Amino acid sequence: MQNIRNFSIIAHIDHGKSTLADRIIQECGSVSAREMTAQMMDTMEIEQERGITIKAQSVRLSYVKDGQPYILNLIDTPGHVDFSYEVSKSLASSDGALLIVDAAQGVEAQTLANVYLAMENNLEIIPVINKIDLPAAEPERVAEEIESSIGIDATDALLISAKTGIGIRALLDAIVERIPAPVGDPEAPTKAIIYDSWFDPYLGAVGLVRVFDGAISKGQQVKLMANGEVHQVLDLMYPHPLHRQKTTIINSGEIGIVIMGLKDVGSIKVGDTITDAKRPTAEPVGSYEPAKAFVFAGLYPIDTDKFEDMRDALDKLRLNDSSLSYEPETSIALGFGFRVGFLGMLHMEVVKERLEREYDLDLIATAPSVVYHVTLTNGEEVKVQNPSEMPEPNYITKIEEPYVKATVITPTDYLGNIITLLTNKRGMQLKMDYLNEKRVLLEYSIPLNEIVVDFYDTLKSTSKGYASFDYEASGYQEGDLVKLDVRVAGDIVDALSIIVPRSQSEQRGRALVSNMKELIPRQLFEVAVQASVGNKIIARETVKSMGKNVTAKCYGGDITRKRKLLEKQKAGKKRMKAIGKVNLPQEAFLSVLKMD
Amino acid sequence: MLLYLHIPFCDSKCSYCAFNSYTHLHHRRARYMTQIVEQFLHDVEELQLPKAIFRTLFIGGGTPSTVDAALYERFFEVVRPYLAHDAEITTEANPNSATLTWLAQMRVLGVNRLSLGAQSFDEGKLTWLHRAHASHHIDEAVHAAYSAGIRNISIDLIYGTALDTPALLERDIERAFVLPISHLSAYALTIEEHTPFAATPQVARESLEMTQKLFEAIDAHGFAQYEISNFGTPSRHNLGYWEYAPYLGIGAGAVGRIAEHRRYTHTDVDAYIADPLYRTLEHLSPSDMRIEKILLGLRSRVGVDTALISDTSRIDALIEEGLAFVENNRLYAKSYLLADEIALFLE
Ligand SMILES: Nc1nc2c(ncn2[C@@H]2O[C@H](COP(=O)(O)OP(=O)(O)OP(=O)(O)O)[C@@H](O)[C@H]2O)c(=O)[nH]1
Ligand SMILES: C[S@@+](CC[C@H](N)C(=O)[O-])C[C@H]1O[C@@H](n2cnc3c(N)ncnc32)[C@H](O)[C@@H]1O
Ligand code: SF4
Ligand SMILES: [Mg+2]
Repeated sequence: MQNIRNFSIIAHIDHGKSTLADRIIQECGSVSAREMTAQMMDTMEIEQERGITIKAQSVRLSYVKDGQPYILNLIDTPGHVDFSYEVSKSLASSDGALLIVDAAQGVEAQTLANVYLAMENNLEIIPVINKIDLPAAEPERVAEEIESSIGIDATDALLISAKTGIGIRALLDAIVERIPAPVGDPEAPTKAIIYDSWFDPYLGAVGLVRVFDGAISKGQQVKLMANGEVHQVLDLMYPHPLHRQKTTIINSGEIGIVIMGLKDVGSIKVGDTITDAKRPTAEPVGSYEPAKAFVFAGLYPIDTDKFEDMRDALDKLRLNDSSLSYEPETSIALGFGFRVGFLGMLHMEVVKERLEREYDLDLIATAPSVVYHVTLTNGEEVKVQNPSEMPEPNYITKIEEPYVKATVITPTDYLGNIITLLTNKRGMQLKMDYLNEKRVLLEYSIPLNEIVVDFYDTLKSTSKGYASFDYEASGYQEGDLVKLDVRVAGDIVDALSIIVPRSQSEQRGRALVSNMKELIPRQLFEVAVQASVGNKIIARETVKSMGKNVTAKCYGGDITRKRKLLEKQKAGKKRMKAIGKVNLPQEAFLSVLKMD
Repeated sequence: MLLYLHIPFCDSKCSYCAFNSYTHLHHRRARYMTQIVEQFLHDVEELQLPKAIFRTLFIGGGTPSTVDAALYERFFEVVRPYLAHDAEITTEANPNSATLTWLAQMRVLGVNRLSLGAQSFDEGKLTWLHRAHASHHIDEAVHAAYSAGIRNISIDLIYGTALDTPALLERDIERAFVLPISHLSAYALTIEEHTPFAATPQVARESLEMTQKLFEAIDAHGFAQYEISNFGTPSRHNLGYWEYAPYLGIGAGAVGRIAEHRRYTHTDVDAYIADPLYRTLEHLSPSDMRIEKILLGLRSRVGVDTALISDTSRIDALIEEGLAFVENNRLYAKSYLLADEIALFLE
């Protein structure tokens, strides 16, 4: 156990965690030169395409220092705020953390969020300043920033370039020297925490564990403490992005994959404790809070016959994404679909894209909504996840909406604009700290609804990409809110309803219909688009009817070609949703939340 | 049944044109004209066609007037027994090669209708379209056809180009109606792949207002619109396509449809000459044929049998919005300009 080091790599998005993981794997000789690719811990296609990590990944490595062999168990974590749950899980099975900070960017909002998580877990934190190869790198300034904003000693921060490999050897030595070996009792009853689980097409449902006490051996009868189920361990493996290695035992202090021949990942709960069936441990390790959905949106198959296919697809996707929650819902406009809970907008995008790509579905997503707490005149309190289900105003005593504590770090140049942005979004300033003379940290209390959709993009464009942002839930507050409906060709389209502050309803209504007008292609008929609150129409636009759609020449030789052209146009229309006689494109459903 | 003969030769290639035609294969003409006879005899035999079955013959291209009339003699000889006694026999021709001699000889062979590719009377536009003739050639060719005894004369115009102005189109119409024509085709420029214009698709520029004015101007000369691009005394051949009549295609790249099979020959001239009997068949499903009937019917005065449309509420919606009407169980588009969009709506 003395020779084991368990650690996570944590940082703000894009500060180079996955690239550093590549270098460490390479330095440990764990993949051949031929197998080496960029960001190899990002094994999902969508991670590679977008160049971001979505799911934490573990790897077991061997390293020799001063003639002594060591086992390094590394966990690469995502940086995006939507996936901070992955960071929490990873830290709970680590003994230390490498805090990566981009030498050109400095401390960012998720740097702080993630380092606080590591501190809560009492982990040894090694500050690492990355990308020192960049011309704009300012390692001294960044080291100062780490000290002033986080309050940890950065005098022996490591200076590296994950891209060129500078400083990697020294970093590995520091890991061995500074991260404590795991503590645990090898003789005590088995006690291991499941910190990840997924469905493998060949192995079935599997759990990734960190063993604290005792060991897990092949053939052992183990108990899952949450539900009391007993299973036999069929196989054990050490994690690796390319080649997992089989083993017969995972000892105290180690990590490994446990295969029990289970079909249903539901019984392998992340956060659960595995123990010996005959000699159980007294107390579970302690569990994590399950990931909590922040925003909810309707997802509907465009082809109404695909509802059951979509249910299958969601069931399968959940096997690898335990943070996904959903229940069936119906919409007058869209038919049968699901209300799906997401960790944030990126998570929503990823889930929708995976459903469409991996399960060959065409989906319409409605504008995401938060959960409102509504007190009715009869004293009852209801939770409203779907704006169209908001009760009529005369039945409502009060509506409360979720707030978050938002942290923004920005260069002072953009401070004014960012404060204006936050104020327009109904934010209340809690704190303003100068990290140094050039950078400021802002803390705001702000309704979650205001930051759900385009806040991140606006913040980035307001600050030329320099400001960063993080948030955490901070409870509910009453608001003066109303339901804004959209009528297309006279009828309310339930899937387009949104909840807005009463004071903004007119302005939002106008912006919304003019956006919709641009997005709805001309059709055979003139289409009226209206915004209304209750029975009052507050804005109206008209999409003019189409003037011409016909090909000039059609003779005996090209009838087949003309038919195929028509079928292609038809397929294009099928990607839109027919609401009565009107075809609405996907973007129309999301556009309701766009402010300008 | 309709009969189509394709002549894949042209003197030059126009900027917009994607038709199967070649400018450097004139030396293959004689050989080609014997092979079409082979194909015709074979097809007639294979399909067991009775005499006088064809109510129309259309010789299209390419440019039929690039081939000497003498080379058509053998073809007419074998085809004649299969033509109805009152068959409409059209040939396309280009103004620079439709000489009085050629037209007179074709008339003798039986041609009774001419479709002349004028495109425009504006010299600048003709050059820009890369046409091989000037505007006076159009006048000369039409008069020549008339003197040769061909009294059913049509000319083609192209509109919807970057060069168009209301004045230009107006002049084109005025010039056209000075001539003794009985029919006019006006095609909106379509950008086709693998044509010079494909590199600059913005040259196709149509204004709905100009189009409507053009239609009105043609109508004012007493030529009724019976299809999106056709006006005047209808071409029985083209109307036959829109009515979904079966047709036989002879020549390189000529297409035919007999019942549920669309038939294709080799498009390459040499390949066709080597094997004029070669054929690929496309099977049309009942749904393919249904869509085609809707597509073709809506773009012309043919209309669509309402029994072909399953969702009658859609018909009602169209009528309510004033976009279509029904007469004797046939649905007609009020304006052919929306034919494809209405077909999509009904699908
Ligand atoms: N110049 C330079 N670029 C680097 C270095 N390390 C990483 N990068 C680049 O920074 C970008 C982000 O790198 P990643 O390793 O994907 O970052 P990450 O922290 O894993 O990002 P998330 O997982 O999305 O949070 C990539 O384009 C890398 O090539 C470095 O040392 N120098
Ligand atoms: C089969 S073409 C050839 C006839 C003859 N060779 C000629 O050029 O006059 C018949 C007509 O189709 C029209 N046409 C061909 N290509 C076109 C295009 N891309 N867009 C619009 N009309 C086109 C032209 O008006 C042309 O006269
Ligand atoms: S438009 Fe007529 S002349 Fe011009 S290339 Fe096409 S077929 Fe030949
Ligand atoms: Mg990463």
